[in-house]
Amino acid sequence: MFKRRGERRGEPDEPSAPAREAAAGAAAAEPAPAEPAGRARWWRLWRGGETAPPPAPSPAPGVVDPPDPTPAVAEAVRVPPKGAAGAPSEAAAGALTRSATHAAWLRIREEIPAWMAWLLGILPILALLGLWWGVTAGATPESRLISPTILPSPLEVVRSFPSLWFDRALTRNLAVSFSRVVAGFAVAVAIAFPLGLAMGAFTKIKATFNPLAVFGAYLPIPALVPLTLSLFGTGEEQKVAFLALAFVIYLLPLVVAAVDQVDQVYLKTAYTLGANRWQAVTRVLLGVAWPDVFQAMRLGFGIGWSYIILAEMVDIGRGLGGIIIISQRRGPREHIYLVLLVIVALAYLTDKLWAWAGRRLFPYRVESRR
Amino acid sequence: MTAGELRETLTAGAAGRDCEPVVEFEGVEKTFHPGTPRAFTALTDVSFRIDDLPGYGEFIAIIGPSGCGKSTLLNLIQGFPDVYPPTRGSVRVRGVEVTGPGRDRGMIFQKYSSFPNRTVLENVSFGLEINRRELKLSRSEMTDRAMALIRRVGLGGHEHKHPHQLSGGQQQRVAIARSLVLKPRILLMDEPFSALDEPTRYEMQRLITELWHEVEATVFIITHSLSEAVYLGDRVWVMTPAPGRIGAAFDDVIPPTRDSDPMMVQESTAFKEVVVEVARAFHELERRHEEQAAGDGRGGRGTEGA
Repeated sequence: MFKRRGERRGEPDEPSAPAREAAAGAAAAEPAPAEPAGRARWWRLWRGGETAPPPAPSPAPGVVDPPDPTPAVAEAVRVPPKGAAGAPSEAAAGALTRSATHAAWLRIREEIPAWMAWLLGILPILALLGLWWGVTAGATPESRLISPTILPSPLEVVRSFPSLWFDRALTRNLAVSFSRVVAGFAVAVAIAFPLGLAMGAFTKIKATFNPLAVFGAYLPIPALVPLTLSLFGTGEEQKVAFLALAFVIYLLPLVVAAVDQVDQVYLKTAYTLGANRWQAVTRVLLGVAWPDVFQAMRLGFGIGWSYIILAEMVDIGRGLGGIIIISQRRGPREHIYLVLLVIVALAYLTDKLWAWAGRRLFPYRVESRR
Repeated sequence: MTAGELRETLTAGAAGRDCEPVVEFEGVEKTFHPGTPRAFTALTDVSFRIDDLPGYGEFIAIIGPSGCGKSTLLNLIQGFPDVYPPTRGSVRVRGVEVTGPGRDRGMIFQKYSSFPNRTVLENVSFGLEINRRELKLSRSEMTDRAMALIRRVGLGGHEHKHPHQLSGGQQQRVAIARSLVLKPRILLMDEPFSALDEPTRYEMQRLITELWHEVEATVFIITHSLSEAVYLGDRVWVMTPAPGRIGAAFDDVIPPTRDSDPMMVQESTAFKEVVVEVARAFHELERRHEEQAAGDGRGGRGTEGA
């Protein structure tokens, strides 16, 4: 790798500036086909001299001209062209690539092409699949590293999909789980949204409810499942109530923060334009905070998929959580893995839907982040 | 000029002419967090009177070292809840004690304040929209008024853009149009051009002088730039270091003229002489303040006798 000239200061064998100029000048003055002598070529390559114009009107070799300061400065900031690497410079590369920004690989905040990002991302997935395949390979259950009752092979998992779809009514259970998430979310938004807006806008309301919000933030959410069970039974209400509670605890601080973050200058501006309190809250605080509130809702909805499974796994009922419990108790094990994959896929898709809606609703926000 | 004479000049108003005062400060003092260890007196003993000259609003430029209470002074005229009321004295606008911000006093901040969720047109018509009932405006009238001002500040064709698509200078043009659409009688500008580059500043200075001749409002502008103060202001006030007072006042400095190129004017010898004079006053006030601070020991917050 080539280095900029400035970074080579202090090398013991570095020639003086005039000598370097002369050597480069001499090399550049040579007729094109003729190969310059070893050391001159080394310097020429190192400076990227092959594409550089000759610095002076061809001085005779050996005649040391006083260096012209201007080209020297230009040289110092010029990065040598890629692909001009010669064998002599390879040796020096290790000593040269010490700077934080030009390390050979793993640069801080490096920009990489999209294909590389894809490739790097797919490698661990392939490795994981390979490992899975490896530990479950074998003609008979005895020859496998891990017994098929614990970990079925990838192919077995895929093959069990029809039975999941038909026998276990995947789509119906999926719809049940999804509608529970939506219902719980709707209840939570109906509470967290106005309360968060009021808390973000009015200090007294914030002071009133903040201790509760902090209390909620440290509550172990899974512990609320038995709590809601004893309050609401095992029916639909319990699922929705648990989800709503979990969502409120998650959403409320984010909504408050979104409103909090609206710059005071917007409020002041609105006051000087004659805004009353209601207008300041709805038009300014909410108007400016909307994209952040929406972002909070998007994140919250994603969390919902974890909570719904938690709520559904306490009893063998409908929903994806129910399928997991049944599959664990009665088999086939393959269905557990499949349901997990289905949940991930569905959560990913709904998140993309939220993102799309966000771009439609707040086009100014998307563009300003680019 | 002694302190007494200065005070007299500042509070005289347009003597001999039958004018009503637009803004009046009487012995105003503002101490933040009074009675606590954090107590800080930003303004002390500020008295002045600005009259509403018929067909002519005065342009007052205020300069002073950082933290001398310049912004506090403007915020008191506006009556923002974080500074209002003053610890002592009274602030009156058109003879009435200020109680809070209102649309009769427009304000432009250094920070870009265009609502990010609104287009240029929506930003400029925001003031009309929220005062729609009082102003009795139809939607098309609102749009017409807003569009006229958008074109006037040179943003024609940008009305459907969002603020993030605008440059700093354009954002401040939006802020100016948004204030002027409500036809305020007083315009307060808190370092409106400090974040802009020099060529843009000159453009904005030209725009402001032109608009000012049209709207005839009383304008207060805070600036860090001496030449901007001298160019824009027909009065220049120099404030002392905190606790801030009006330490020196220059009346009838070169009045801002329409059609004059800000850059050319600011290059002229006559202009530069005035700037030097104001700069001298500025440094003199600072020097006196330091001397007194040294005399007072570590404190240096006592009221200056001048």
